[in-house]
Amino acid sequence: MATATATKSNGPPPTSFDNLQRTKILLLGQRGSGKTSIQQVLFNDVPPKQTFYLEPTSRAVKHRYDTVIPLEIWDCPGNTSPDTLGASLADFSSIIFVIDIQDSYQQPVARMLDFFAAAYQENPGATLEVFVHKAESLAEDYKIENFRHIQQRVIDELFDASPEYEQMPVNFHLTSVYDHSIREAFSRVLHKLIDSLPYLEDLLNVFCSNSQASKAFLFDVKSRLYVATDESPVDTGMHNLCCDYVRTLSAFGPLYMSASVNADSRSFYPSAAVSLAQGTTLTYHLITPQLALLAMLHPGVFEERRGLLEYNVVFFREGVQEIALVERDARSGNL
Amino acid sequence: MKKKVLLMGASGSGKTSMRSLIFSNNPASLTSRLGATIDVEQNHVRFLGDLILNLWDCGGQDSFMDSYLSTQRSTIFQHVWVLIYVFEVGARDAAKDAEYYRDCLDALQKYSPDAAVFLLVHKMDLVVGEKSAVLERRTRELQAESGSVAVTVFGTSIYDETLYKAWSHIVHTIIPNAAVLSKHLTTFARACSATEAILFERTTFLVIATSSSPDGPDGFDLSAARYERTSELIKALKHSCTRMREEFHALEMELPEFTAVLDGMTKNTYVLLIVHDPTIETAALKINIRLARPKFEELQSDSVLA
Ligand SMILES: Nc1nc2c(ncn2[C@@H]2O[C@H](COP(=O)(O)OP(=O)(O)OP(=O)(O)O)[C@@H](O)[C@H]2O)c(=O)[nH]1
Ligand SMILES: Nc1nc2c(ncn2[C@@H]2O[C@H](COP(=O)(O)OP(=O)(O)O)[C@@H](O)[C@H]2O)c(=O)[nH]1
Ligand SMILES: [Mg+2]
Repeated sequence: MATATATKSNGPPPTSFDNLQRTKILLLGQRGSGKTSIQQVLFNDVPPKQTFYLEPTSRAVKHRYDTVIPLEIWDCPGNTSPDTLGASLADFSSIIFVIDIQDSYQQPVARMLDFFAAAYQENPGATLEVFVHKAESLAEDYKIENFRHIQQRVIDELFDASPEYEQMPVNFHLTSVYDHSIREAFSRVLHKLIDSLPYLEDLLNVFCSNSQASKAFLFDVKSRLYVATDESPVDTGMHNLCCDYVRTLSAFGPLYMSASVNADSRSFYPSAAVSLAQGTTLTYHLITPQLALLAMLHPGVFEERRGLLEYNVVFFREGVQEIALVERDARSGNL
Repeated sequence: MKKKVLLMGASGSGKTSMRSLIFSNNPASLTSRLGATIDVEQNHVRFLGDLILNLWDCGGQDSFMDSYLSTQRSTIFQHVWVLIYVFEVGARDAAKDAEYYRDCLDALQKYSPDAAVFLLVHKMDLVVGEKSAVLERRTRELQAESGSVAVTVFGTSIYDETLYKAWSHIVHTIIPNAAVLSKHLTTFARACSATEAILFERTTFLVIATSSSPDGPDGFDLSAARYERTSELIKALKHSCTRMREEFHALEMELPEFTAVLDGMTKNTYVLLIVHDPTIETAALKINIRLARPKFEELQSDSVLA
C-alpha cells in the first residue's frame, strides 16, 4: 500500500484506536458462502481469485480494522448458532448474513432467521443485512430473479414466525468479490455505524458546492470502502471507477519509489488527477493517513481555479480531522 | 508498412485471450467466454501510425493444425516477421504440443527463415509452488526442442503484468529504430529534470521506448517490473473509464517520493514522466510535453519509415 506507508509520517500522528471501544460486525452464513473471502478481499487486499485457496474457518476469528471508526469484524464458521457464538448478540452493531446465490435457500434462511430473531430481541438497534453473494456467477436476469426470490422468502418467513417481525429492518444486497458490488454494499453497511456521518456529509456537500464538483466521495484508501458521500445519488459506474482509481494510485506509488532517495514527506499530502475525454477531472486528495477525498470536477475549475480547490481541500481536511478527534474522545469516554 | 505476426499453439492455450486483452482492452475476467477460434482470425492492428501488425490468430484444434502444416503451409508460413508460440504450462498432452511445435518450426525455417521466434509458457498463475523453477525447466526443454533456432522464452499470465512484459519485448523487435526514440526520450527526460521518461503505444499501452535501462537510472533503485506493471495498471484504469462510456485522457500525481505525469505525446503514443525533484511542478511537465509533441511526431514517422 503505497499511500498508506508513504503517509505514515504525514500530518498529525495516526489516530490510534487501541484500547478504544470497537464497533463490532458479525459475519455469518453457511460454510463456503464466502464470508472469509469477503473479509480478506476487503480488509487484507487479497485478490479475488486467490480466495479459491482459503481454508475453511473452524472458529470465530476477530479482525480489527481502523477507518473513521475502529471496527472489529467477526468471521464465524458456518455452524455457528446464537448459543455457540461466545458473545452476546447485544455486542454487535451490525449482523451480516451471507447467502450463496446458487445454494438451496432453506437451511441458510432458517439459520438466518434464528439469528435475526435473537438479535431483534436482545438488541433492536442492530442493523440486519443480507448479502446475496457470488452474484457474478449468474446471468443478469437470473440473478435479479434469484435475488427477489430470496428477499421474498425471508420476508414471508419472518412474518410467519411472528407478525411483530414485520417491523424488523432487514436490508438486502447483491454482492460479489469479483467486482465492486461488495465494496458498495459494505460501504452502505458501514454508513449506518458511523455516528458522525451527517457531519461528514455536510462537509462533502459544502466542498461540492464551493468547488463546483458534481460528486464527491470520502474513501478509506486501503479497503476502498467509501465512508461518506455528498447528497447527490451514487452512480454505480462512477463508484466502480473511483474504486479502480484508488487501487491504481496505491499500486503506482511503490513502482517508482526509489530505495536510495529519501523524500522528506512530512506535512505532504499526496494528490492526483485523471482527466477524462468528456470534460470531467477526477481528483484525489489524501485527507488523513487513511482517508482520501475523490471529486468529479469540471476541468475548468481544476485548470484555472487550482488555488480555490486547494483551499477547499484544506478546509475539508480540518473538518474531517476535527470529527475524527471527537469520535475518538467519545470512544475513550472523555465526553 | 505491414508486418505479419503468427500466433500459434494448442487449442485452449490462451492465444485469443491474450490478443483480446492487449489489443481490444478487454478484462481478463471476460476471456472465459471466448469460443475456440475457427481456422485463422486475421487482425490488422495499427501500431505507431504507419506500422501495421497483421496478427494471425491460428485456431489450435488438431484439424486446423494439420491443415496449416499441409494444404495451407505456404500461405501460413510465408512472409512471417514473428512467430509467437503459446504453450499452456499445465498442458495435458505436452508430447503432442511439442510435435506440432517442431513441425511449425520446420515450416517456418523453410518459408520465413529470418522470422524471430518467441515462446510463451502461459497460464503461469496456475502453477502452485515455485514458479521460477517451473519456468526454468520449461525454458530448457523448449530450447532443446528448438534445435538450432534461436528462441526467446517468457512465462506469462493474463492475470498479471508478465503478459505486458512479453508483448512489449516482442513489439520492440518489430519497431524500426527504436533506439533513436530512446535516445531522444533520454534527452527529453533530462530537459524536464525527470528521472525517466517512458513511451507507450496508445491503444495497447505496450512500452515502445524508455530513457533508462530496466534497472533504473543511476542513483535510483527502482523496481525492475515497473514498466509492465504500469502498462497493466493504466490498461485497467482505461478499461474502467470505458465501462463508464468515458475515455481516459491523462493522469498526474504528486506523491511524497515523486511526481508523475502521463499524457498523450503523439497521435499514437503516451509519455510518462517520473520526477523525483520536488521543486518541479506538474504544470511545468505538462508544458514540456506539449512543446515536445511536434518533435516526437516527426521522429516517430521517421522511425517507422526507416
Ligand atoms: N488461469 C488462466 N487461464 C487463462 C489464461 N489465459 C487464458 N486463459 C483461459 O484459457 C481458456 C482458453 O483461452 P482461448 O484464448 O480461447 O484459447 P485459444 O488458444 O485461443 O484456443 P483456440 O482458439 O481453440 O486455439 C479461456 O477460458 C481463458 O479464460 C491465463 O493466463 N491463466
Ligand atoms: N464466484 C464467486 N465465488 C466466490 C465469491 N466469494 C467467495 N467465493 C468462493 O467461495 C468459496 C468459499 O469461500 P470462503 O470465503 O472460504 O467461505 P466461508 O466458509 O463462508 O468463509 C471459495 O472458493 C471462494 O473463492 C464470489 O463473489 N463469487
Ligand atoms: Mg482462440
